Amino acid sequence: MNGFAWLRRLQRRSNTWMVISVIGALVALLPSLYILIGLFQKPNENWQHIQQFMLKDYALQSLWLVLGTGTLTVMIGVTLAWLVAAYEFPLRRLFSWAFVLPLAIPPYIAAYTYGSMLSYTGSVQVFMRNVLGWAPDQKYFDIMSMKGAIFVFTMFLFPYVYLITRSFFEKQSASFIENARLLGKNPLHIFFRVVLPLSQPAIMGGVSLVAFEVLNDFGVTKHFGIQSFTTAIFTTWFGMYDVDSAIRLAAWLMSVIIGVFLIERLLRKRKKYNASTSRTSPLSRRRLRGLPAWAACGFGAVIVSLSFLIPVLQLIVWAAWTYRDVLNAKFAELLVNTLSVSALSIVALMLHAVIAANVNRTGRSLFTLVLSKLISMGYSVPGAVLSIGVLAVFISFDEQLSGVYGWLGLGEGKLVLSMSLAMLIFAYVIRFLAVGYNAVEAGFEKTGNRYTEASRLLGFGMTRTFFKVDLPLIKGAVLTGCILTFMEIVKELPLTLLLRPFNFDTLATKAYQYASDEQIHQASVPSLFIIGVGMVSVFFYHWLGEKNSQ
Amino acid sequence: MKKVTIGIILLVMASLVLMTGCGSNATNNTTENSEPNAANDAKKPEDTEGSGKEKVVNVFTARHYDVDSLLYEEFTKQTGIKVNEIKGTAEELVERLKREGESSEADLFVTVDGGVLNYAKQNDVLQPIESETVKQNVPEQWRDKDNNWVGVATRARVIVYAKDRVKPEELSTYEDLATDKWKGKLLARSSTSLYNQSLVASFVELNGEQKTEEWAKGIVNNFARGPEGGDRDQAKAIAAKVGDVAIMNTYYVGQMLNSKDAEEVKVAENIGVFFPNQDTTGTHLNISGVGLTKHTKNKENAIKLIEFLTGKEGQTILTQGSFEFPVNQAAEKPELLTAWGEFKSQQIDYAKLGDHNKKATEILNKVGWK
Repeated sequence: MNGFAWLRRLQRRSNTWMVISVIGALVALLPSLYILIGLFQKPNENWQHIQQFMLKDYALQSLWLVLGTGTLTVMIGVTLAWLVAAYEFPLRRLFSWAFVLPLAIPPYIAAYTYGSMLSYTGSVQVFMRNVLGWAPDQKYFDIMSMKGAIFVFTMFLFPYVYLITRSFFEKQSASFIENARLLGKNPLHIFFRVVLPLSQPAIMGGVSLVAFEVLNDFGVTKHFGIQSFTTAIFTTWFGMYDVDSAIRLAAWLMSVIIGVFLIERLLRKRKKYNASTSRTSPLSRRRLRGLPAWAACGFGAVIVSLSFLIPVLQLIVWAAWTYRDVLNAKFAELLVNTLSVSALSIVALMLHAVIAANVNRTGRSLFTLVLSKLISMGYSVPGAVLSIGVLAVFISFDEQLSGVYGWLGLGEGKLVLSMSLAMLIFAYVIRFLAVGYNAVEAGFEKTGNRYTEASRLLGFGMTRTFFKVDLPLIKGAVLTGCILTFMEIVKELPLTLLLRPFNFDTLATKAYQYASDEQIHQASVPSLFIIGVGMVSVFFYHWLGEKNSQ
Repeated sequence: MKKVTIGIILLVMASLVLMTGCGSNATNNTTENSEPNAANDAKKPEDTEGSGKEKVVNVFTARHYDVDSLLYEEFTKQTGIKVNEIKGTAEELVERLKREGESSEADLFVTVDGGVLNYAKQNDVLQPIESETVKQNVPEQWRDKDNNWVGVATRARVIVYAKDRVKPEELSTYEDLATDKWKGKLLARSSTSLYNQSLVASFVELNGEQKTEEWAKGIVNNFARGPEGGDRDQAKAIAAKVGDVAIMNTYYVGQMLNSKDAEEVKVAENIGVFFPNQDTTGTHLNISGVGLTKHTKNKENAIKLIEFLTGKEGQTILTQGSFEFPVNQAAEKPELLTAWGEFKSQQIDYAKLGDHNKKATEILNKVGWK
């Protein structure tokens, strides 16, 4: 253990956490900074055209997408979370985890699935035509529109809001709600006057993830022919071959998003709730009877059907047609690749997230706040643009390390890091840090600082307090973070496409291979694997949760 | 304190796993044909095969088709040269090649669209392919003038029509689609598609900027609905009577005819394929091609692969699998392609498409082709 003596000495200084966090954040920031520098470069001759024909309209379309999806995901996500947390009704236990499942379906796959299903040759219209003998107007099936995109995003992203708010309701809000109940307030009043204001941080955490996803999406918008801000970025890059302007656009996107969330955070900071008792008992559920019970059950059933059952059943039908051509021995390798790269990335990512969140909570200064928001930047730009930043950083690492490689006998002037899995893992970490961080931060907000402060007063150091006091308290939140990032990484596409080493295929790249060539039937097989892996992790998460609560 | 130690150990272990992960991935797949040295040999035992130098060729490809993998496997079987792939989007891969510079491990760059191939050439990431076999395999028309890239397959971007509502005699040229005759009847996908950008770029070359912009305006005016979905969705919209004619790639028709979905087959059977501009400038072709990277470390193997891809056998596998047109006339085409017969294609310098792509994109933005 002597080898760790220097570490222990470092620990004794209370700002070690801070140092680690700052270094980590800076490294994670490099690719984003590389993109942000784009703001300060002189615009080239294309900029005029971009401003005139693309910027305003495309930004407006993106705004509508975000507002529409954001509003609907909050409405659906919070309602479902509240029903599951506060009431007992038929199938509640099943729903409590089934509502997480849509996260396992990549939105672009969902878009292709719904697009095909509702098309002229899709199951819905074929059934109407051939069985019912009824051929309705095509306009009723036009899912490839703004409304359709909002529908797809809402159905497959609402679990972010649901998951984060539900865990908040269950664990933290009990005393407030029970007091309100005792004081004779009616359920609606409790929901709007007590629950919603209390859960604002959790809701914001969830909905900000939704907004990021919508803003950086290119799969759904491209397939549906919607001109979002991301379309402008890619048209500039792939159509006008102007990478610099594309990066510049991404930099604008990034700064606007970070600005908005920073303002939200600063406004929210004035309102803080700390529980006055040390008792954090779980919320006791009330039993619904009669019509309300069945209404709750029916609402849940509709959401689960639209966001999971229907698309998955459709994919299964397609898979039955094509699995013979698609499924081969290599699928096992895809599965192993997907799982191992996710596992490694999650470990690195959650460490980073926990450290950063802990520092931000205890250090509380504008500096740490800004830092904590900056590390979410990686989530706010399209993956393809971020991948340029990562590539630039890693290639320069390789150039710096050239001498070391020579000394190790690898040959000078070689690409070692940027040809390895490390680059992809690094990219995942900065990409999804926001997901892990938001979950952990919600966990910290929930427990408050009382226990930590008590522990520090009683003489424990920050590190010891963290492991003895904080970590057990936020265990659930960390686990939530792990599951969410896992589902993200399994689905991730643009980074994986460009930054992987040779011959490294994952389930997502396989699904894309078919979907990009409009072979949605073939794409169903790898997609179902992705969904399967996601389902298993949800089961596992749920099982752990049940075990803990017993 | 114990937990802290455990935490630290876990951290160290995690990073170790990470490092070894990198190590194994970084060291395999690389062979130095040009400068074999002792150090290089020393690390060989780590390599997958372990038996001396493994012969490889590293491909950056933007073609994500099963038939490509099939081709590479066949090549490995015949030559013992392993093909390593990184698949991505064409423009992104060019960016990666550019940034990797001299250190790049890529030997070949494979993609759909002549414009992008030229974009790669302009970014100085390619070098001339010196091979008589390739020159014999591929007609001059499908080769870059400096031989920085050669075509491997083409797709015709044609007009498809509803057999029950449109007579082929009514169709003539792409230009005709922009006239009032087709108001509210025309279908096409979004302008984010490279296929449409290339088509418009070819008109910029043939008809000039001014005329192309007028044409694009006419097309947008004739749309039966806003552009959405992919090429197949346009065919389906014809079947659904949303519109009567659509701009679409031939090979999707082939794929739909062979679909597992009986309804899709029905759609494909009810649309006709028309090769436009036969009396004028010819039908637009989209070209898939392969380029030799400037800093290739396995030049010999790379050229062997190009020779295989453009040879009779490779071309036959390719066209049978993807319904694209072969560039080597010796290849055995699938029946469907033979049934379509010979047609006149645009006689243009495909490198020009790359030059005009930006102009094309600007025109598409201007006229509001979504």
